[in-house]
Amino acid sequence: MDPAEVEFLAEKEMVKIIPNFSLDKIYLIGGDLGPFNPGLPVEVPVWLALNLKQRQKCRIVPLEWMDIDRLEEIREQERKLDAFTPIPSPYYMELTKLLLNHAADNIPKADEIRTLVKDIWDTRVAKLRLSADSFISQQEAHAQLDNLTLMEINTTRSFLLDSLNYMYKLRSNLQPGRSQDY
Amino acid sequence: MDSQSYMPVPPGIGMEENFFSLDDILLSHERLPCRTESAFPRLGFLEKSSETRDIPEGTKMEMPLWLAKGLYERKRRVLSLELPKVYREGWRTVFGADPTVVDLHKMGPYYYGLGSQMLHFDSPENPEIANTILQTFIGRFRRTMDSSQNAYNEDTSALVERLDCLERSLFKAGQSGLNSFQLWEKGRSSHLTASSLVINYRKRKITDLQA
Repeated sequence: MDPAEVEFLAEKEMVKIIPNFSLDKIYLIGGDLGPFNPGLPVEVPVWLALNLKQRQKCRIVPLEWMDIDRLEEIREQERKLDAFTPIPSPYYMELTKLLLNHAADNIPKADEIRTLVKDIWDTRVAKLRLSADSFISQQEAHAQLDNLTLMEINTTRSFLLDSLNYMYKLRSNLQPGRSQDY
Repeated sequence: MDSQSYMPVPPGIGMEENFFSLDDILLSHERLPCRTESAFPRLGFLEKSSETRDIPEGTKMEMPLWLAKGLYERKRRVLSLELPKVYREGWRTVFGADPTVVDLHKMGPYYYGLGSQMLHFDSPENPEIANTILQTFIGRFRRTMDSSQNAYNEDTSALVERLDCLERSLFKAGQSGLNSFQLWEKGRSSHLTASSLVINYRKRKITDLQA
């Protein structure tokens, strides 16, 4: 899976915007998008919000977790615990990148938010690698990791699966069961 | 990155080999020391050091893996294999002590593959060989993972040098995951670029080149 595909899935999340045009309710296959009135907040998916923002037809309201204190709290907790902390949105990395690239003027202290999210990401990825390493070195059959996001899983997926495959095949050498082709 | 029109056949690890895999074909060219248990009439030309017409019983010679595997049979004693140095007792203790220190590329670039194939030849040390290979892989895994996930935009030849072929393909997988993530973060994942073949072979219009 490409990171671009993960980003595509992230764009389905809902975000609040304040439009500056008016439009009746629109009926799309994925659901209805409420009537747009100038000055009144309305919930739309991120893909629509970014499109409207680029055409300068709306203002994006920052998400409630995109705030310095909240992110600092999450970062401290992430550093303290060995397990993964639950994070406010399963697509935090993608939403940060998209919103901060296109709507940085609507979000206060964008640069610090970017740094904080990057710190959280680095800590989580390091924990993921540590647990992958202990998984392989102890040759476990099962592992359970809670609160992982798709983007993190995606960066490590091909490497981990390949190495687990190789390990399985090397392990099957230990049992002298004859192979199919003679 | 994942959608290619041509997917190379991966090597078959474990005791099987994939017929179409290039890695396996190259692997089976490795020469193994062996001893003939019966005479091979009129095949003297295969053994360069002797001038006789036949290969008498009990000659020590080197054979490539594909030939040895085909000729080996438990019941009719045609051939008996000796283990290459790397899989013997001495080296096994080295691997047991610290697997990360060894230069696996020098020890035969197909350490894991060849080791798995050696298990076909029913040597009494088979379980220890299989165990050593597994433990070596596990021991070196951490280093391979760290180096592949952290080396972005640098020259990786020093890191890759001491890895065997299987580990190199793992390294490549890790690198490609890292690169695609970094590319996405910079926002260039949907950026169209000219293919490297086109640039290298300079298949562009003369007017563009001369500009």
